[in-house]
Amino acid sequence: MRLASILLALLFVLTASATAQTTLKVASLAPDGSLWMKEMRAAGEAVAQGSEGRVTIKFYPGGVMGNDATVLRKIRLGQLQGGAFTGSELSLVYKNAQIYSLPFLFANYDQVDAVRRQVDPLLLAGFEQSGFRVVGISGVGFAYLMGSREVSNREQLKQAKVWVPQNDRIAELTFRAGGVEPIPLPLGDVFTSLQTGLVDTVGNTAAGAIALQWHTKVSHLFDLPLTYVVGYVAIDNKRFATLSDADQALVSKAFGEAAARIDAGNRKADADARAVLRAQGVVFATPSAAEATYWKGIGTQITQTLVDDQSLDAGLLQQVQAALASTPGAGTP
Amino acid sequence: MQTSRFMRCPTRHRSVSLLVAVGIALASGGCASVAQRAADRFASNLGRAVLNQDDPGTVRDGLPAYLLLLDGLIEGDPGNAALLRAAAGMYGSYAGSFVAEPARAGILAQRARDYARRATCIDQVALCAVLDRPFDRFAAAVQASEDVAALYGLSGAWATWIQTHSEDFAAIADIPKVEALLQRVVVLVPDHDRGMPWVYLGVLGSLRPEAVGGRPEQGRAAFERAIELSQGRNLMAKTLFARHYARLVFDRDLHDRLLKEVLATDPKAPGFTLSNVLAQQQAQELLGTSPDYF
Repeated sequence: MRLASILLALLFVLTASATAQTTLKVASLAPDGSLWMKEMRAAGEAVAQGSEGRVTIKFYPGGVMGNDATVLRKIRLGQLQGGAFTGSELSLVYKNAQIYSLPFLFANYDQVDAVRRQVDPLLLAGFEQSGFRVVGISGVGFAYLMGSREVSNREQLKQAKVWVPQNDRIAELTFRAGGVEPIPLPLGDVFTSLQTGLVDTVGNTAAGAIALQWHTKVSHLFDLPLTYVVGYVAIDNKRFATLSDADQALVSKAFGEAAARIDAGNRKADADARAVLRAQGVVFATPSAAEATYWKGIGTQITQTLVDDQSLDAGLLQQVQAALASTPGAGTP
Repeated sequence: MQTSRFMRCPTRHRSVSLLVAVGIALASGGCASVAQRAADRFASNLGRAVLNQDDPGTVRDGLPAYLLLLDGLIEGDPGNAALLRAAAGMYGSYAGSFVAEPARAGILAQRARDYARRATCIDQVALCAVLDRPFDRFAAAVQASEDVAALYGLSGAWATWIQTHSEDFAAIADIPKVEALLQRVVVLVPDHDRGMPWVYLGVLGSLRPEAVGGRPEQGRAAFERAIELSQGRNLMAKTLFARHYARLVFDRDLHDRLLKEVLATDPKAPGFTLSNVLAQQQAQELLGTSPDYF
């Protein structure tokens, strides 16, 4: 009798867990209404419908849960289960998260596509070993140097007041290697700092510069891709593992498709935004071959530094370089 | 942004019926001044009548005919800046508030913006010259202008155009210009249009979170100013305060409180009735989705 009641209780527990509702709380810096949030919400609806309500995704947009570092801490504490992150912040949990954003790594989208086809699956596996299920990787676009003064060569750049994101070690190393002492500031302070003149040169995608209204202080753009900005949607593996296999597949599929739409949307946005900047009178300076080679060399040097101090996995980097070598124009900046 | 408003004219002239006004306008081809005054009056009376309508469906169904009529009046008097601004206001409001199909709304908002720009180029020549120039030059011209009706008319039509072209980076890039126009309006006449420019500023101030350089608290202050200046009668100010600011900063208490206030208030108020009814409809929807959002 006692055994029967234990079995019954166990059965009840198993049944309850199979039908239990799970809410995944996901934070993002992207404001509601942005492409990121529209597509993530669409993915959330697809998950809720497909799982018949077993899994719901609750979003916290616009940085209301704090910056990426705070969101990561809240995930560790179990207050959140996921977030949309940039590579540099997610490198705190998986060092190779920033591999696509190495300075001057890519010159065009053909190279990006060739590398990502090969390396995305390796990154996903790496994230999983580091405790996160990455359900979406999306390119945000190429960041360029732009500002209120012309910066088309290293000498001009040395005279500029260059912003770098706070805690972005790679950006700081890159500019220092080029003889520039950058000014680290939180993202939220950049617009005001452009207005006051604390900084006069910033790195951002063309679309990002317009969305954040930095373009009102931009008259020049150095047309050399500084870095390829990537965003990851990552969910705490421990919580993800509590979903049934079918629901895990559902979440991965919905967010994977959303990520592909975000990727395509951002690529179009990048092209459109560049055209708008040109139309508004921003002067695009094409680097000379010598200047492009110089900065590409800085990129190679910084990448080696990161490998040497074990901030980057040499094996994965080789995979990136091998994929890059297979693209047309490989080796030319 | 659903901030479109029907143009409000401060004229004290005795109202004439729509048909009489139109009849005068159409019959007086040889007398430009009479036709012009009649057309101006028609436009302002129509605007006022629409603002006081408490059935949005009537406006939605009936207004297109009058939009065409305004087009006709402009055909006959293409240099009438006041008429162009009235038409810009009508078209913008109709596009922003009553047209569900994005493509149609975009076309109508484009016409609104074109009319507003034409009006600007008639009586604000310096501003006209820099409409498409970089922001600093545009902002300097705005600072030099003191014509509140011109600045406000342009800002409203432009804001609606941005709203209906929100995927277009050319439109997003224009947001600071609209903000500059509105900032100038409230400097010149802080209580213009009973505080409606502050509502627009509230929306614009609540577009970007603080984490990426936005200043939502400025948005909040603008909404509060709008509510104060309308003595609480502008319910759209509260609805948009909830939709844009409270959702941005994730303040559910404020969100739900504002919307409940909107729903508990009689929408009939001179000059605000139509937008108050629309504000209540939107408030109902926002309250319904509140548990999912927060």
